[in-house]
Amino acid sequence: MRQNSQRCAPLSAQRLELGYGTGRRQARRAVIENLDITLPAGQVTAIVGPNGCGKSTLLAGLARLHAPRKGAVHLDGQDIRRLPARELARRLALLPQDTKAPEGLTVAELIRFGRQPHQGFLRQWSEEDERVVKAALSAANLTDLADRTLDAMSGGQRQRAWIAMAIAQQTPLLLLDEPTSALDLGHQLEVFELIRNLATDGKTVVMVVHDLDSACRFADHLVAMQGGRIITAGRPSDVVSEDLVRTLYGIDCTLLSDPATGSPILTNMRRTRAAVKGDGAQGTSQRCQTGA
Amino acid sequence: MNASSLDSIPHRQGLGDTGSPAASGRHADAVRPPAGYWRLALPMAGKDGAILIDRRALVANLGLIVALLILGGLSLCLGSVTLAPLETTRALLGQGDAMNAFLVQELRLPRLAAGIATGAAFALSGCLMQTLARNRLATPGIIGIDNGATAFAVASVVGLGMSLAPPPLALAGAATATALTFGLAGGVGTRGYRFIVAGIGVGAVFGAVTQLMLARVDIDTANAAYPWTVGSLNARDPASLWALGAALVIGLAISRCIAQALNVLRFSDSVAAGLGIRVRHCRRGALMLSVGLTALAVAVAGPVGMVALIGPELARHVSSPRGVPLMGSALAGALVMVSADLAGRLMLAPLEIPVGIVTAVIGGPLLLWILLRPSRRIC
Ligand SMILES: Nc1ncnc2c1ncn2[C@@H]1O[C@H](COP(=O)(O)OP(=O)(O)OP(=O)(O)O)[C@@H](O)[C@H]1O
Ligand SMILES: [Mg+2]
Repeated sequence: MRQNSQRCAPLSAQRLELGYGTGRRQARRAVIENLDITLPAGQVTAIVGPNGCGKSTLLAGLARLHAPRKGAVHLDGQDIRRLPARELARRLALLPQDTKAPEGLTVAELIRFGRQPHQGFLRQWSEEDERVVKAALSAANLTDLADRTLDAMSGGQRQRAWIAMAIAQQTPLLLLDEPTSALDLGHQLEVFELIRNLATDGKTVVMVVHDLDSACRFADHLVAMQGGRIITAGRPSDVVSEDLVRTLYGIDCTLLSDPATGSPILTNMRRTRAAVKGDGAQGTSQRCQTGA
Repeated sequence: MNASSLDSIPHRQGLGDTGSPAASGRHADAVRPPAGYWRLALPMAGKDGAILIDRRALVANLGLIVALLILGGLSLCLGSVTLAPLETTRALLGQGDAMNAFLVQELRLPRLAAGIATGAAFALSGCLMQTLARNRLATPGIIGIDNGATAFAVASVVGLGMSLAPPPLALAGAATATALTFGLAGGVGTRGYRFIVAGIGVGAVFGAVTQLMLARVDIDTANAAYPWTVGSLNARDPASLWALGAALVIGLAISRCIAQALNVLRFSDSVAAGLGIRVRHCRRGALMLSVGLTALAVAVAGPVGMVALIGPELARHVSSPRGVPLMGSALAGALVMVSADLAGRLMLAPLEIPVGIVTAVIGGPLLLWILLRPSRRIC
């Protein structure tokens, strides 16, 4: 069923180098170096990796929010630097990890902003806009909350509103940075199912997820990152191993196969001895570093 | 959750609540506008041609215009000689008493025009700057742009012996202050408060330079330069006023065009870029507009920076929270400026209090009152 959509990769990056800052040498250090990635069309790709390994940076680079220092990102074979901003926004939507909205904005108004790339000075509200916003509201289960202001909503409700905005952008490609980090189990499942449905409709979805079990269950393709590099990528059941979990997170675990879905699940998790020792020796300094 | 509904809703069900065939929305007029808007279909702009009019913003702007007309009329009638509305109208048309005609046409009308133009320019540039910095503190006055323009203007008065500072000098001063602030902070918006603190520092330096220049010249020159330091509509120069008027017309047109982009810029830069806004372009344009308008307004009236804070705040209070109230800020700024000038002329007549002092005296409490009122949201 995915054969036809697999013929070309909509988004790929070659020898990508990304980083922050232009000032001191310390700030200029590259976050992502010499990275190659190809996102399979019409599939759900999950990016996993420890905090600070560069997942958000990579997504921002793929969406052209950071200019690459080296290398390039191609969308349907075209260098994204050549694309006009609005056209790019009609083909690719990004849900950033930390989202901030202006004071007093309601859910429906937020979602309406997703239509921005499709609108113009004399085309501010079409039938299509109305239909898509309505559908996005119901897709995110927010129809009843449409007129609530975002400030007056819970973190999870707000996160669903932002997902709905990305959906309203109606792009064939969606990059979602931790779309489920604030959601309860039920709503997590809802969002993952929504993402699966989007893929069934032919969309290509990339999501950054921390929960490896969910990543394995809901993604077709898994990319594991560490220290700004991709250490492995492929079908979840092929790439996820006890070794990988140890490398990524410093965790020993036993891998089982979910009897219902066949996807790998992690059990019996405990930190590796090295991780525990490292914590004991320089626990406070490490914690300070993460805090800073 | 059902994503397939995204593409199939119109085939399965109508959009309206009526369920009638017309509600399936084949007609442009069947499209329902979002809550709080009127949708004005524009068939000549294609099938989907339409603009949205924010009802609350429209009502607010109309209200501000009415208030401005009333106050403008009052400021033409009132003063050292009080004229009846009828007399004022006749004087405006050049009929009746020649003395009155001179008073209204040559003295009060230009002063009113200067009040409207400077108020609108200060407040519009304040609103632009606040939006760019995503911070209501970040008005040109607070980040030192007014002071930069003033310092250069005063330098021309005390140094070159000219009685009036030409707009180019104010522009140069504003640009210098902006460049300094940006150089010290590393860009607007990116570093939030750092930018504002740098601006306050730059403003303080320019303010001190102005004072230093005034302290070192003879009393007559210092007196001539005094209005520049507090802000007054008394010593306007017609050429500066024309320059400001032209800039304001262009500025309002540009801000109408970038209004939607600025709306999106209220989110973070990355969200705006993700929605197809050319962030850097838009930022640069809005910043130049803001600095230019402030400089030209300072060239006319001196640094009445308070208006840049009160105008947008008042506009935000009466207008809709759904958008950046650019037009509303301009109108509210004009209103504040005209009423402050009127009050300054009448309160201690025949003595005249400079408008800059009145805006500070009246504006401060007004601002506090607005800020302390619980915010309410009306759709
Ligand atoms: N604005 C920034 N300026 C400088 N360095 C940054 C900035 N944002 C992130 N970094 C650095 O880049 C690295 C990667 O950050 P990134 O946000 O991409 O991590 P991540 O994988 O998304 O982590 P998380 O799981 O916590 O979201 C980190 O080491 C971080 O310190
Ligand atoms: Mg991240």
